[in-house]
Amino acid sequence: MRQYSFGYWIFLFFVILILTFVIAPLFVIIWASFFSDKILVFPPTSYTFNWFINAWDIKDFSNGFIMSVELGLCASLISLLLGVPAALAIERQSFQFKETIRQILLSPMYVPGIVAGAAIYIYFIQLEIFTDLQLAGTFKGLLIAHTLIALPWTIRLICASLMMTSLAAEEAAASLGASPFKVFFLVTLPSIRSGVIAAALFSFIASFSDLEKSLFIVGPGKTTLPIAIINYLEWNLDPTIAAVATVQILIIASALLISDRYINLGKAF
Amino acid sequence: MNLIAPSPFGSEHFQNLKITAISQKIRGKLALPALLLVSFFLLAPLLLIFRYSFDLYDPKQLMQDIFTFQNYYKIYSDPFYKNVLWVTAQIAFLSTIFTLLFAIPVAYFVSRTQSERRRSFLIIIIVLPLLLGNAVRSAAWMLVMGTKGLINASLIGLGLADNPLTILFTPTAVVVALVSVLLPYAIITLQSVMDSIPTSLEEAARALGYSPFHSFVRIVFPLAMPGIIAAGAICFALAMNAYATPVLIGGPKMKMMGPVVYEQIAKISNWPFGSALACILMLTTLVLTILSTRYLHKKYF
Repeated sequence: MRQYSFGYWIFLFFVILILTFVIAPLFVIIWASFFSDKILVFPPTSYTFNWFINAWDIKDFSNGFIMSVELGLCASLISLLLGVPAALAIERQSFQFKETIRQILLSPMYVPGIVAGAAIYIYFIQLEIFTDLQLAGTFKGLLIAHTLIALPWTIRLICASLMMTSLAAEEAAASLGASPFKVFFLVTLPSIRSGVIAAALFSFIASFSDLEKSLFIVGPGKTTLPIAIINYLEWNLDPTIAAVATVQILIIASALLISDRYINLGKAF
Repeated sequence: MNLIAPSPFGSEHFQNLKITAISQKIRGKLALPALLLVSFFLLAPLLLIFRYSFDLYDPKQLMQDIFTFQNYYKIYSDPFYKNVLWVTAQIAFLSTIFTLLFAIPVAYFVSRTQSERRRSFLIIIIVLPLLLGNAVRSAAWMLVMGTKGLINASLIGLGLADNPLTILFTPTAVVVALVSVLLPYAIITLQSVMDSIPTSLEEAARALGYSPFHSFVRIVFPLAMPGIIAAGAICFALAMNAYATPVLIGGPKMKMMGPVVYEQIAKISNWPFGSALACILMLTTLVLTILSTRYLHKKYF
């Protein structure tokens, strides 16, 4: 065994301390979701599963949850339909202003959520005045915003995936007479399969956990889960909210664990 | 049965070339739908609020045809908004410094972890809180720092305090929570930078008699400096734009840019002034992002 110096142990201790700081609050909230007392007290007198049922009975949470799942699924599907062709164009084709176009397509990731949310909200209302098309406070409007959230993740992961597969097989297929569609569906798509799965999962995660972009656009009865959570938090802090948060943690953690099987997570960010 | 092998320069060959040429033409346009979505629903809205930021507020009318710098002047001259900007910058700066201080050792640890499994376990621990979103993360910190929260309960339980301390709704609490928000971003960025620094350099330094600590300070740290600056710029921008943390952890008295933008646009409906505040955030973020990509793309060797 290697001998570690005293200094190394201090370094290790410091690293573990910081990692605990990052992850511990999540365990506290999972723990608190099983407390039996209606008012949160540490340590609890006993434990129960009731808060999960209680949370589902609160309409804001159950509707918010369904809304967030629907939005996440639709947004990741649409962002795949738009993002895969866009990534193909960027990685496989040279054309004018390619770098600018790539930057524009990735820009939703860099524009601050609160600024983007405010801008989209004002734009939607302006649009409504000119065209009578209501987007603010509707599922359609939210879906547009969530597709924007998901799109840069999709493009980034698919581009990375395309970069790693070789062109040779595609060229061979094309020179043997396969049409571009055939080349894409029979050669390209199977070889980037894991990238597509990871892109779908990350798009779903990004959409599901978004708060700032949706904040302006949600309307009465059309609320996402994170917004239902912060609205509730302004007045209450109890095991019910801990149970809701625990559900969100479980969903996102499982999506993350699945995507870990398909891509190198360190490279995804 | 065709006995004549197709010549490499026969008609089929040219047909294939044509197909490739067509597919190349189509492929250039494949980015169009995505580009249209982003242009129509992100770039156009940003241009719209940029225009709005030079307009004047009138409760009866949405947009007047006015071009004035009054909103920006108000942010600069009104003590309240000047203070909001100042507090936001201070908190963002403090959070960035602490984040970098904590992120550097962890990033170094991750980048020097050899086992692939242990590495992806560490990455999952680090990115999970990042992916959970701000609502759940803030809720977790409220549970830890609240009057009846974990910290106060432990302090009283251990007899270290008689009455609960006020931790929540203080600037310190906001900085602590923001550091936990920013840490994953900083660790991930720095870890990839440190990956690109060959271990052979440290090994050489060790062989020549440097202690591990010394070889880190004298070799890795200076080489990682561009990455550290880049990570700092990203963290500062993220902290400036924070919304959920100041609202939930800072409480109603904590005025930072994010919540004030929301208040102006969604609650008071003063779009021109809210837009001006949003444009300041956008501009700061843009400058910092460009700065950070410049530094990240610098070649080390």
